[in-house]
Amino acid sequence: MDIKITEELNNTLKDNGFKTEEIKELIANAESSGQKLKAREGDISIAKGGSDNLTVYAVYSPSELLDVYAHKMNILGLTGGELNEIDYDDASEWACAKCGEIALERNVDMTYMGVTRPGPGLVCPKCNEFYVSDGVARTLKTAEAILEEKRA
Amino acid sequence: MEQIGTVRSLCPQCLAKIEGVKYVEDGKVYIMKNCADHGNFINLVSEDVNHYLQMEECFDVDRAKARSPLTETQRGCPFDCGLCPSHKQDTCLAVVEVTDRCNMKCTYCFANSSMDESLDPDMDTIRLMFETVKKCQNEPTCIQISGGEPTIRNDLPEIIRMGKEIGINHIELNTNGIRIASDQNYFDRIAAAGVDAIYLGFDGVSDDVYMQRTGRKMLDVKTEVINRCEKAGIGVVLVPLVAKGYNLHEVGSIIDFAAKRVPAVRGVHFQPVFHSGRSPSDMKDKVTILELLQEIEKQTNRQLKVSNFTPALMPHAHCGATCLTLIDNGGYLPLTNVSLGAVKSASDVASKTKKSIMGRWKGLEKDSNSGSSCGDLLIKSSCCEKPLSSLTVKGSCCEKPLIDILPKNSGSGKDKSGGWADFIEMSKNNYLTISTMAFQDAWSYEQDRVENCCIHVVTRDGRFIPFCNYNMTDCNGNSLYRNAT
Repeated sequence: MDIKITEELNNTLKDNGFKTEEIKELIANAESSGQKLKAREGDISIAKGGSDNLTVYAVYSPSELLDVYAHKMNILGLTGGELNEIDYDDASEWACAKCGEIALERNVDMTYMGVTRPGPGLVCPKCNEFYVSDGVARTLKTAEAILEEKRA
Repeated sequence: MEQIGTVRSLCPQCLAKIEGVKYVEDGKVYIMKNCADHGNFINLVSEDVNHYLQMEECFDVDRAKARSPLTETQRGCPFDCGLCPSHKQDTCLAVVEVTDRCNMKCTYCFANSSMDESLDPDMDTIRLMFETVKKCQNEPTCIQISGGEPTIRNDLPEIIRMGKEIGINHIELNTNGIRIASDQNYFDRIAAAGVDAIYLGFDGVSDDVYMQRTGRKMLDVKTEVINRCEKAGIGVVLVPLVAKGYNLHEVGSIIDFAAKRVPAVRGVHFQPVFHSGRSPSDMKDKVTILELLQEIEKQTNRQLKVSNFTPALMPHAHCGATCLTLIDNGGYLPLTNVSLGAVKSASDVASKTKKSIMGRWKGLEKDSNSGSSCGDLLIKSSCCEKPLSSLTVKGSCCEKPLIDILPKNSGSGKDKSGGWADFIEMSKNNYLTISTMAFQDAWSYEQDRVENCCIHVVTRDGRFIPFCNYNMTDCNGNSLYRNAT
């Protein structure tokens, strides 16, 4: 899969310390394993990868890389521990590419530097995989920075 | 008994320099020292050697020396203060005493203040003291106006204004609050002169406590000071002296009281009793840092734990401990934890402490766009916690990077409160610094600690003397420096 990266996005990647090769590898892994979210309408995917200390997400179409973001927080699991009944429609516009289940919008517990709080995640109920949107990731980044600064 | 170190100390009887050892017995840390003329002295330092050593491990600061020493090293520490060239640490807070007089007669008082006639320094002398700070302290300059009770002076607003004109960056006022609570016009003039923070003596949340130390009810006075400061946008730090048999049982209530008044109240700074100056003579009232932290843990129902207190922002690992906590719907969400290890930072202890004094303890920035660091990068409200699905990630939108596409409406009703967006919102102003500083007396004195001290009293002849040395008295009340300068 040959993915195009615009110069603008490439600069953003560099500014944020992402390596193009790593992003390409992350996408290649998602494509071969099938572990990714796929838009229920359209041709956009979200792949995730990274290490224990950093979760990286790539948003892409078959031809182009659209966005890359990350969070340092560690997702512990569903808030409340299990998939409880809820009184709203939690179906997202994404589906798990591996099992085909519709990903649910559910709160997940995220922890960083000793502080744990819930935040909205995209959850595959079957594979028990958790994803975070770019907007949430930006909120998390700010929270991470606050925790890092306040400790010093 | 296991020896874990040696100490250079003083004899509590004659203030002669003597040597001693630091040792562990039954898990507790003690200092034992011997004076050839006056015998052995033993002082409890910590109830738990593990905690004691953990604080050392967690303590890691770069140091910056004062810009220029003002005295020579001749007899050695603590006899050459001014500062002398062997002092290892620049000033983070310069204490300027503008009077010896006081309108209270507390049973405890390291300053040994009284209503006795004494000569207050005149404006020229105070100017010299301010200018000395400006000349010797690295930028930014922080001053605490102290005494005696500074508000006894009618010209205090002019003193503060003069400090600001000289270019002192931060001026806080140490006060018992009586005059501020009763004289609005006087307070308005202090506020207009540019005072940055009020350092308010606050020993408890019940009048029983105040009756013991001061012989009068004071809680209404303290509350009124906070009310007035809140209106004026001036931050308040509550400063309890802590002693056993006095107010140790109220430390949790004091923190709870402070939490309810955040952000008007920026911090609580506990000062365990030390036996310099005037104090009841027996030593049974002493409280170690660990003992205080354990009480805080117990009295806050373990919301704030001993492990949330780190030696950050202190001149020395054993001078105190600090916890920064968010106030979360009446509960606490501590941000600091000793298990996270040493704080790595390029900045030295004085500048870090100054940042703390100026930033965390100052009033709220009137202009919300200036001031508070990363809290400002905020994504407005909680809209960004909306799940990706509400972003239209289809067709044409993808010409733009996804990051530009934000939902217009915030809060789908699905966002639960208590999430990370709330955390950020809360971080902007709803935090409280809880700290303790263990001042040294002739019994607990360790030269290593005082050589690294960053809180310095400015004398009328323009010298700097580390706080604990300045206030040091022998067991008969004779001063090393205070009355001699």
